[in-house]
Amino acid sequence: MKLLASLRTFLSSLFRRLRVEDEMEAELRVHIENRAEDLERSGVSRAEAERRARLEFGGYQKFKEECREAVGVHFFETLIQDLRYALRMLRKSPAFTTVAVLTLALGIGANTAIFSMVDGLVLRPLPVNQPDRIVFLMSTWKGGHVRTPFSYPDFMEIQRQTADVFADSSAFQSFQMAGLSVDGKSQPIWTSYVSGDFFEMLGLRPALGRLILPSEGKVAGADPVLVLSYSCWQSHFNRDPDIIGKKASVNGHPVTIVGVAPEGFHGLASLLDFQGYLPLSMAAVLKDAPDDFLSSRENPSFGLIARLKQNVSLNQAQTALQVVAQRLSQQYPKTDNWMSLRAMNLGPSSLAIDPGNPGILTVVSTLFLALAAAVLVLACLNIANLCLLRAAARQPELAMRATLGATRGRLLRQLLSESALLAALGCGAGIILGLAASTMFGYLPMHTALPIVLDFHFDWRVFAYALAAAVLTSLLVGIAPAFRVARSDLNELLREGGRSLAGGRQRLRRALVMAQVAGSLTLLIVAGLFVRSLEKVQHADLGFDPNHVFNLSMDPHEAGYDEAQARGFFKSLVVKARALPGVESASLAASVPMGYNDFGSTLKIDGYLPSPNEGSPRANYNVVSANYFQTMHIPLLRGRDIRDSDDPNSSFVAVINQGMADRYWHGLDPIGRRFFSNDLNHSLEIVGVVKNSLAGEIFFPPNDPFFYASLTQTYETIETLQVRAPAPPEATARELTGLVHSLEPAMPVFDVQTMAAALDTVNGFLLFWFAAALAGSLGLLGLLLAVVGVYGVISYSAAQRTHEIGIRLALGAQPSHVLKMILSQGLGIVGIGVIAGVLAAAAMARLVENLLMGVPPLDPLTYVTASVVLVLVSLLACYLPARRAMRVDPMVALRYE
Amino acid sequence: MPGTPAQAQLLPGTLDLLILKTVSLSPLHGYGILLRIQQISGGALLVEQGALYPALFRLVRQGLLKASWGTSENNRRAKFYELTAAGRKRLREEADGWNRLATAIASALRTQPEEI
Repeated sequence: MKLLASLRTFLSSLFRRLRVEDEMEAELRVHIENRAEDLERSGVSRAEAERRARLEFGGYQKFKEECREAVGVHFFETLIQDLRYALRMLRKSPAFTTVAVLTLALGIGANTAIFSMVDGLVLRPLPVNQPDRIVFLMSTWKGGHVRTPFSYPDFMEIQRQTADVFADSSAFQSFQMAGLSVDGKSQPIWTSYVSGDFFEMLGLRPALGRLILPSEGKVAGADPVLVLSYSCWQSHFNRDPDIIGKKASVNGHPVTIVGVAPEGFHGLASLLDFQGYLPLSMAAVLKDAPDDFLSSRENPSFGLIARLKQNVSLNQAQTALQVVAQRLSQQYPKTDNWMSLRAMNLGPSSLAIDPGNPGILTVVSTLFLALAAAVLVLACLNIANLCLLRAAARQPELAMRATLGATRGRLLRQLLSESALLAALGCGAGIILGLAASTMFGYLPMHTALPIVLDFHFDWRVFAYALAAAVLTSLLVGIAPAFRVARSDLNELLREGGRSLAGGRQRLRRALVMAQVAGSLTLLIVAGLFVRSLEKVQHADLGFDPNHVFNLSMDPHEAGYDEAQARGFFKSLVVKARALPGVESASLAASVPMGYNDFGSTLKIDGYLPSPNEGSPRANYNVVSANYFQTMHIPLLRGRDIRDSDDPNSSFVAVINQGMADRYWHGLDPIGRRFFSNDLNHSLEIVGVVKNSLAGEIFFPPNDPFFYASLTQTYETIETLQVRAPAPPEATARELTGLVHSLEPAMPVFDVQTMAAALDTVNGFLLFWFAAALAGSLGLLGLLLAVVGVYGVISYSAAQRTHEIGIRLALGAQPSHVLKMILSQGLGIVGIGVIAGVLAAAAMARLVENLLMGVPPLDPLTYVTASVVLVLVSLLACYLPARRAMRVDPMVALRYE
Repeated sequence: MPGTPAQAQLLPGTLDLLILKTVSLSPLHGYGILLRIQQISGGALLVEQGALYPALFRLVRQGLLKASWGTSENNRRAKFYELTAAGRKRLREEADGWNRLATAIASALRTQPEEI
């Protein structure tokens, strides 16, 4: 409302100005005419009378100005005048303007790019109806583990018992790859199985056709319908309007495409793009799930989300859920061994709805926003310095304007409008740069078949941020010279001409440059730490050797195979792969390190009693074929490898890692002992022990308990063929794909890449690459800014001292002495800046300790290297002006006034 | 001009007072005020034309004068100024102050050496 009122005053003053202008003109005209008449009456000719009347009136413009000021309508006019003048002044010094605008653009661009990423990852809410009322449920089990999957019967119970706090609830299962075949063309798509009320609960309207109905999905095998995502419809089907009603097949089973989800809806996780939605009932059919998939309590495999009722708070829901938890854990103590049920808001960054690490994205985002803000501050310091220098050079002009009648306030306004114009230009350029940068980041190679969507488009939040940055910048930049104008004696300015150099002003400039150097060093050190972290992580002992290993993943279900056919397929595949020339070894695995397929199970171990707060024993696991350890170069420490002859008829075998042996058998020989896996639902006999290696995510310690089951005994539909061969990857890729298609032409393959590349994925090194790249670019930017700053100050200071230098040279000083003088001045400034920077970096590094792997926050190599680089580059920046000073001709300098 | 008495420079601040007095006699437009001041001061006070209008606008903004458009005696449209109630009050105050000042100074100037 205030905005409206001030807009109205502004507009009315605008119109009033026009009217008042006219009135003033009329009034003054009448005055002159009257005077002319009087003069005429005393005998002067008409023309002469008018001329004299006008002359007598005198300084027309000046008091028109005063009149206007008296009436108070001149704000708008002076603003335009200021801006026009500012534009002229900026055009007159193109070097300064270019440097300033470029510096600002870099600073603001970096900030908007990073903010748009943060916005897309953390801030932007889901494009559903009232996203802040949507929650997801988690259960805390006795033993302390927090789990998100629930069984279908539990979902129905919870839904029934929470009818007074939740308006609606829905079960879903994500992350299922399926093969979609339409009109003979097949491709893998990422699907999500949802209960009937999913779309209605989210309040979504279909872009085409219809969405899944609440009545669908209840009976296993019924309702074979498919809803496509908008992006899938766009990219794979070219927005074909006839897609509705088309008959397709998913994993060989017939479905009908009934609709397209609305544009912009990518599913529940902000980073992933789900391409198809099917009713839960189809999950039973398409995933080859057990018959009691929807009716058994023993199968928690669904995430639960719910919408809070309009007047219900989260706390009320928690209380209601607690009651439900207690009831159900009493009724079904074996399967629902819960301590509590909780609801959490569905934040936009719910990548995997992982309760273990909810804050990591927030922490990383804040860190990078802070770094980018630091770069912006550096840029501002630079420009403030430049503005100060310029203001100093413009002293005569300012003094002249003062004597011509400009008030101090007017001069201040002039300077501020100049800096505002600079900031506006820099902001505009910065937004363009930032847009380009964030679009580029959207095309990062993810090295995974996961449909990651980095939607970093600019929305109002990003623009508001850019605007705020620009306003802040213009204030910061304009304040320094404005202060000087406000406090200086204009008379003194005029007298001294352009040579004044009172100590106070130099001190401010020097302080600014020291701050710049310190800030830049901090950025460099942080960047260095991230880069070393990446390096450490890449060269860390992975426990296996990813070099020369090639991966190829496939899911025979997508080609319509059933279990028996798939087993046969994989068997012949691996045999034929081993027979290929140049192949050292070949094996199959259900998951690869850093992959997105994770298997974990709680265990029951005879003779092992967990300590009270430890919870039941559990381990992650992989299901592999024979020769897996050979292919991955994981040393076998005891016992034997999985064998091809370990088939479903013999007893189940497992190979465990050293960590598991240490944890659960405390140094006793585990060979021959058994353990029971709840996930696999049978006991396994330990036949071998291998060295610890990195398996799941990069952050999982390698000595976590891990075991390997046999693929021939436990069937997994998605398997990755891994081949160790010295041939170049492209050749291996061709050979292997050819092999697969010779066995089955319609088999879709994915994640075709070297093992080394597979490590660069989201679970693996990608974050480190990202952090290092981002921090590195910010660090370089900071370095550039600091160097420009140092150059500017030393150059100006040397120019000011030309007179003094001339005298020294004339009195017999060596030119090298002059060089040393200037250099030492620069070194002094840089030195103090470096010390301050090291201290600041040490403090900052403490904060990011958790994100660095294997690098101590006070890593001496990084600190020393960064400092040395900065000092050297700054010295170079000092050297150029110093050399110029050295070459000064004493005669010229002495005459220079 | 022959026969004009010695002209005094107008002290700053007194212009406002003179304008108020002039306008109190009758509403006038800008040029008229100029002439009137000359007239009532016996030609001794000459207002600088450039200072008149800003002073008028200032007085209007301070609420001591009211401006309205009307027709002048030679049938031209001109802006006429007249006193507001606040203006009348200010005129009285200023005039009193001025008179007191003038009396005091005059009395000081009449002092003879014997009266000390």
